[in-house]
This record gives sequence, C-alpha cells and structure tokens, in this order.
Amino acid sequence: MSMASTMVASVPVFGRMFKLEGEPELHDINAWPAAMIMASFIWFSVAVLLGISMPLTQMLGLDASLFYTAVTAHGAAMAFPYVFQLMMGVGLHRAAGCLGKPLTGWLPAAAFWCMNIGGILFTIAILMGLKISYAVMYPLPIVGVETGQWSMTSVVIGFTGIAGILLTVILLYPVLTIKLMFFGKEREELVLSRRTLGDPGMLGMAMAAFVLLIMGMPLLIVASAVLLALYHIIPFAWVGWATDPLVFQFVFYIFAHNLMEAMAIMVISAVYATLPLYLADGTRKLYSTKAANLALWILLLTSVTSFFHHFYTMFPALPSALSYHGNIMSWGTAIGAAITIFTVAMTIIKHGLRPEAGIMAVLMGFTLYILDGASAIVTSNVAFSFQLHGTMWQAGHTMAVLIAMSMMWMGVLLHHYPVLTGRVLDPMRGKWFVILFTVGAIGVSYAFLAAGAAGMPRRFASWNQEGWMIYGYLILFFGLCLALSMVIFLIDVSKARRIGEGVVASPPKAAPAE
Amino acid sequence: MLDFVYQSGWGAFGVLLLFQIPFLVVFLTIVFRKAYVNTAPSAISDSSVARWRSSWLALAIALFLIINLASIKFFPAVYSARAAASGVAVTDVTVDAQSWYYDMSAQEFEAGKPVRFNAQSLDTVHGFAVYHPDGHILFTMMLIPGVGRSSLIYTFDEPGTYKVRCLEYCGMSHHEMSDEIIVTASAS
Ligand SMILES: [Cu+2]
Repeated sequence: MSMASTMVASVPVFGRMFKLEGEPELHDINAWPAAMIMASFIWFSVAVLLGISMPLTQMLGLDASLFYTAVTAHGAAMAFPYVFQLMMGVGLHRAAGCLGKPLTGWLPAAAFWCMNIGGILFTIAILMGLKISYAVMYPLPIVGVETGQWSMTSVVIGFTGIAGILLTVILLYPVLTIKLMFFGKEREELVLSRRTLGDPGMLGMAMAAFVLLIMGMPLLIVASAVLLALYHIIPFAWVGWATDPLVFQFVFYIFAHNLMEAMAIMVISAVYATLPLYLADGTRKLYSTKAANLALWILLLTSVTSFFHHFYTMFPALPSALSYHGNIMSWGTAIGAAITIFTVAMTIIKHGLRPEAGIMAVLMGFTLYILDGASAIVTSNVAFSFQLHGTMWQAGHTMAVLIAMSMMWMGVLLHHYPVLTGRVLDPMRGKWFVILFTVGAIGVSYAFLAAGAAGMPRRFASWNQEGWMIYGYLILFFGLCLALSMVIFLIDVSKARRIGEGVVASPPKAAPAE
Repeated sequence: MLDFVYQSGWGAFGVLLLFQIPFLVVFLTIVFRKAYVNTAPSAISDSSVARWRSSWLALAIALFLIINLASIKFFPAVYSARAAASGVAVTDVTVDAQSWYYDMSAQEFEAGKPVRFNAQSLDTVHGFAVYHPDGHILFTMMLIPGVGRSSLIYTFDEPGTYKVRCLEYCGMSHHEMSDEIIVTASAS
C-alpha cells in the first residue's frame, strides 16, 4: 500500500467513497488521484455549508463579519481545493492511463500536500479574522492591518497558505503534467486507453499546463517576494516593485483569468475525450477531430490576453486600446466556443447517445458552461462592463463557471470511477444527481445574473437595500437543490458495489479509463 | 431602445437571454432526442454538415459584430470624448475614496450639464458606482490606489437623488460605503 492509498483508506466517511479495491497493479496511477478527489469533496462539503450560510446571515440579520468570513472561505475553498483539486485528480488519472505512466514519487505527493495544507492555513487565517475575499483585493490585507481589522499574524498565515496553493497550481501540477506527457518511460500494464498529443483530449491538457506555468509565474514571483518580506527574510524596502497595488492586481488577474481559461481548455478537452465513448453506434470518434483541435487553439490564443476585461472600469489608467483589445479577445473565445458547440452537437446528431449518468453529467456541465460563457462575454463588452462590473452578475459568472467545470469533471469521474476504485455506481442515483444538479446550477446562476442586472453589489453584506432580498431567497432555494444533489452523489459513491460480487462494470466492459 | 440595451443592467440581461435561450432549446432538444427518442445515427451528408457549419459560424460572427459595433457609442471613453469636444462647459469634480467614505468636491449638479468625475482611492481598492434613482447602475469605476485618477464625463438627464456605492470589496464596512448625489432640474 502506498502512502496515498493508506491515507484514503483511513479517512472516515469520505475514505470509503474513494478507497482502492480495484486491480493492485493499477495502484500507481490510482492512488494519488483517489486522494486528491477525496480531499476535493471534503473541501466541497465545507464550501457548500459556507455558501448556504451567506444568504442565511442576511435573512437572519446576523453580523456582517460572519458574511465576510463566509464569502472569503467559500470562494477560496470552491476555486482551489475543490474545483482545481478535483480537476487535478481526475485529469492526472486520465493522462496517466492514456500514456501508461505512473503517478508516484515526490511530485504528486507535494502537489497534494501543498494544496491541502495551503488551504487549511488560509482557512485558519480567515477564522483568525482575515477577510479579503478569494480575490485578495491587494493591498486590502495590509490596509486591514493598518486599520485594525485583522492582525499581521493572520496576514502572514494567510499568505503562507495562498503560497502553498499557488505552488501546486502554478508549478507542481503543470510540471507533473508536462513530465507525464514528455518524459519518462511508458509501462505497458498501466496503459488503459492509449492516446497521443494529437488527440484533442490530450492536447487540451498540455495547453492548460503550459498556460498555468507561464501565465502564473509572474504572480508566483510577486507573491513569493511579498511572503519573504512578511517573514522578515528580506526588508520590505526591497520588494516595493512587488507590493505596488497595480503590479499585484495585474499579475493576479493575468494568472486568475488564465487559470479559469486553462481549466476551461482542460475540461473541454475532457469532454472531447469522453463523448465518443458513449455514442450509440459505437463510433468512438468525434465527427471532426480537426474542428475540435481548432476550437482549442482559438480558445487558447484569444483567452491569454482577454484578461484586460477585469480593468475596463479604471479608464484611463487602463488605456482604451487595451480595453478594446480585451473586448475583442473575450468575444473571440466565443468563436472557439461556437465551434465546440457545433462539434459536440453534430457528433451527437450523427451517432446517437447512450444516456448514462457520466456522459449526461458531462453534457449538462457543458450546457452550463456555454450558458455561463454567454454571461462572460456580455460583461466583457466595454459598455456592459460599466453597468455590471462589481455586481452579482460577476459573482454569478465566477460561480457558474466553477460549477459547470466541476459538473463536467464529476461526469468524467463517474466514467473513471470503476477503474479507479474497483466499484460501480447506481444508475438511478446518478440520474437524480444530474437532474437536481442541473436545475440547481441553472437556477442559482440566473438568480445571480438577475441580481447583477438589478444593480445588486457582490461581496456585500447588506442585501436588504433596494429589495434585493428576493434574489437572496432564490439563491438559497437553488443552492439547496445543489446541496441535495451533492448529498445524493456522495451517497452514491459511498454505497458503490465491488465489481465481481454479482456486479458487472457498466461503462463499456472492463471500464477502460478512456 | 439601444439606450436601454446598453445603459441598464436589464438590457445586458436581455442580450444574455438572446444568446442563451436558443442555445438551451436547440442543444437540449438534440441531446434528449438522440439519447432517449431515437438513438440511431442520422444520415446527414457531408455537404449538408458543411453548409450547417458555415451558417452557424456566420451567425456567430454576425452577432459578434452587431452587438459590439452597436455598443461603441456607449463606451464611457467615447461618450466622454464626445462631451469634451462638444464645447459645452464641463463641471469638474474630484472624488477621493477611502475606507469607508467618499470625499467629493461637489455633490449637487444640474440636469443636462456634463460632469467630469475624477476619482481616486487613497488606501485600498474601492469602487465608485452611481445609481439612478430607480435603482439601476449608470456607471461604475474601479479605483486602484496609486494609478492616478480614473475619469469619465456623465450628463445626468433627470433630477433626483442618486445613490453612490462602493462595488469593490474593501473590508468589514464595505457595505456601508455609500453617499448621495443630488441632481436639480435644469435652470435654463
Ligand atoms: Cu470601498
């Protein structure tokens, strides 16, 4: 037993959902992904409770500091230890099984521990009073200390946690992916379904890894410099270049925007890889691989510089030329999306679909993702941005893109689950999970967008002004639908039955990972 | 009509539905028909696939161009430049934002007269959003400390009390960071 599989087996409740009972020779590709996926669902469970507590604090008229604690902790847990870690676990499992290379050694272990210890440290800092939202809002952490809102110790602990998370996202995960793809020797027995970089499913993973590494590096450098100064290892005077608010905001959004885009590229490539396996006529191919790859390239090239849309409303500090560029590039991603929609729809029309929970979750996640893409490009138009920036519209966009991606990854996870754990899931529970999740996600995202259209500010602990509370009730109702769907999902994985005990694996025969 | 589309949040919501509803209806119909009603492969010739693909992309590009080109005159940089070039006297106002209040050099204006808001933050990131008395946002600015003043020219059309709010999370009393602007009826 490896460290990862021992750890999974020893965690109460969640451990049972992901412990490895499949073929022992596959442990080298299963163990760390199982640990990452398990940890991501623990984070998710906490994040859901925090999410539901936000409208509740407003309805019950509780202290604003509770709301801001929940906003910060919920956003941070959702974006990184949940969605990113889920993606990392499922994505690495997919890559390792396609390339026949083991996920062992210090790299996957470091990626796991830096993410989770980082998440725990950041959470401790939030509980100590650091309320900076998941977007950090630099220089708020420092101004908050100067104005007595929280302590310097909480800032130091919080930044240490953020550094751990960033280390995994920007360095360890991309390096691990690149190592899997370009280095090391294939082990025949680990190949579950051979794929090359020419497949859209692998191409997207490689692109995402390079985007994270390259676009995240400036933030990693700036954040490390600030951290060294916070620990008094170097004097603050040396890091003036890094503590300038504009520098921090720019490197943050160059990273944060492209993180979302990299995750989108990865998940779209996972859709491209999974859909063909569920075609009714057994074709196992997209209607056009070329169109699929073209869409990924368009998405990659347009998304890199579309991050300027985060700064339109600081004109003229952001020159008009860069606003126009950001506007055009943001809408350019929609052209990539249009090609993707066509490829997915035409593949389904031409070959029919086997409606199993895994692929339906992937397709409903894809639907949410496209719906959200529309809200993203609308707010990326310069004129609309001046009405919507900083409102619930953008909170809704951030939330919807994360929910959509997590839905697609959960679909891919349902597909991989038998080979990962050696157990199969109940189709009926899977179906109800997909239905409730879809209804909850679409409902909650419309509630946010409508609230934004009505001018309701995001990250704002006073929903009773201007009759905004109605959106709060809608958010709570659909949020509860989402929570219920997740309860069904978690029951489903904890009651999965072992393959071989009168149970046959349901996704095609021995359930290849691809 | 275009004013409503580009200058109120609900106009943006309408454009959003214009994209979302057709996609939702068509895509879900395809998925459910091919998953539950008739899963057999559809015989579509390559030439009709190509025709569909061209029409679809043409539609996407047309929407891209129409919605963005029509929006240009509503870009604050564009309407500010137009107001500045019109020869009408512009009232300059400075706005200093800090945790958690605004310091404005003037808060009462006359309807129909252009006002140039020059806003900056003195501590952390703040916003300066001006709301119409009916509750919709007229414009918002993000103020990052140390970058100089953000500016735009706005002409209030109607008298009334306009709310100012901070839309960038700025700490424990962020939700209390607000102020008011009074617009009086045009004297002429
Ligand atoms: Cu503020």
